[in-house]
Amino acid sequence: MPYDWNFTIVLRYLPQLLEGGLHTIILSAAAIALAAPIGVVMGVIRQQRVPILAPIAVAYIDFFRTSVALVLICWCYFALPVLIGVTLSTFTAVTIAIGLQASAYLAELVRAGLQSISVGQWEAARALGMGTRLRLQYIILPQAARRMIPVFFLLVIEVFKTSTLAGFVTYPEIVYEAYRVATDIYRPIETFTIVGAICFVFLFSLGRIALYLERRYAVVER
Amino acid sequence: MSYAWDFNFLWALGPLLLGGLINTGKLWAIAFSSGLAIGLAFGIMRTVPSRILRGIGMVYVEAIRNTPGLILLIWFYYALPILVGVQSSAWLAACVALSLYTGAYSAEIYRAGIASVEAGQWEAARAIGLSYAHQMRYIVLPQAVMRMIPAFGNRAIELAKATTLASTLAFGELLFTAKVIAEDQFRPLETFTAVSVIFTAVLLPLSYACIWLERRVARSGGIVRD
Repeated sequence: MPYDWNFTIVLRYLPQLLEGGLHTIILSAAAIALAAPIGVVMGVIRQQRVPILAPIAVAYIDFFRTSVALVLICWCYFALPVLIGVTLSTFTAVTIAIGLQASAYLAELVRAGLQSISVGQWEAARALGMGTRLRLQYIILPQAARRMIPVFFLLVIEVFKTSTLAGFVTYPEIVYEAYRVATDIYRPIETFTIVGAICFVFLFSLGRIALYLERRYAVVER
Repeated sequence: MSYAWDFNFLWALGPLLLGGLINTGKLWAIAFSSGLAIGLAFGIMRTVPSRILRGIGMVYVEAIRNTPGLILLIWFYYALPILVGVQSSAWLAACVALSLYTGAYSAEIYRAGIASVEAGQWEAARAIGLSYAHQMRYIVLPQAVMRMIPAFGNRAIELAKATTLASTLAFGELLFTAKVIAEDQFRPLETFTAVSVIFTAVLLPLSYACIWLERRVARSGGIVRD
């Protein structure tokens, strides 16, 4: 029995799907905004082996690195409110879950970036009489950031993919909207084909940008 | 407000959770082994001289890698009956989608591994009269595989995480079982905490093993003599 494909009817619902896509983007942006400061601080603490704090950073990074995004989302949405006695919106819960996990990945990225700066740079800065903070701020981090940019972009792509899980706890992102459209018009395959295509175009473009940045910022020691 | 933690009910429901964990394990094992096989085929395809085969390999890898895993899963769930005419089930859709998902990522690992073998090895193998297939099979792959192992380990971890996606199709893996228990017992805090701990307890040692292997391979320059 050949299947009678019908994409035109789905296209009529395109605005609704794109609105879901917009929610996905907003959610990802919020998660990254939460992840960025935590990730940088944790990464620096770990790489600098700050006493007392470093083991905490390691435990934090290891826990979130090996946690499952969907489990974290469920935990933040279903369990966290019980623990703190405050009802969280789906948006807040998912932002916390994805943001914390991304911060762990980012911390590892920051650590690797700092590690990649040659010892000579550290020593030269110290020879000028700079303290740890100054050395990090003016000498090491600016160089490390340059190398981290392409990988950071890949992390952003991962965050976008993870954001599609938010529909599981009824946040109206793109997959959630797709389900609603699919049940409205009984066309799940066409709907999800189009949603898949939207995601592909978006993520593929981001990937190309990452590749471009990688070439552009490719490390050349001068 | 302090919350009275109570894990006792979970012990009683242990067999249920264990059943979920076993389903997760099954899905993982099938998707990982078939993913490695699919990845090998497409990974080699991406390195062969034929431009058409390379193109097909690239389309597959890019298409899968740039689509969120969840969408793949749902897509196959609805599309399988049409594509191959079989009755769809959450289990089948999850197996197919996660295999292809792992296949695309491991194809890249194979490709990078094969590319890391220096040209001299290919040339030497050709000089002694081996065919392309034999050069690959006997000279290049054995040397490349050792360097790929840490990356495959990381893939295995990512796949274990991805199996939870099947819960969105109501496949009874660990997370889905936990959700049912949490709703049934009105104890989401303990249940989801337990699931989270189970995953970390399994994946953290694996992750450390990968880091260890990576260092070892890096130290030996990827060359392992026995």
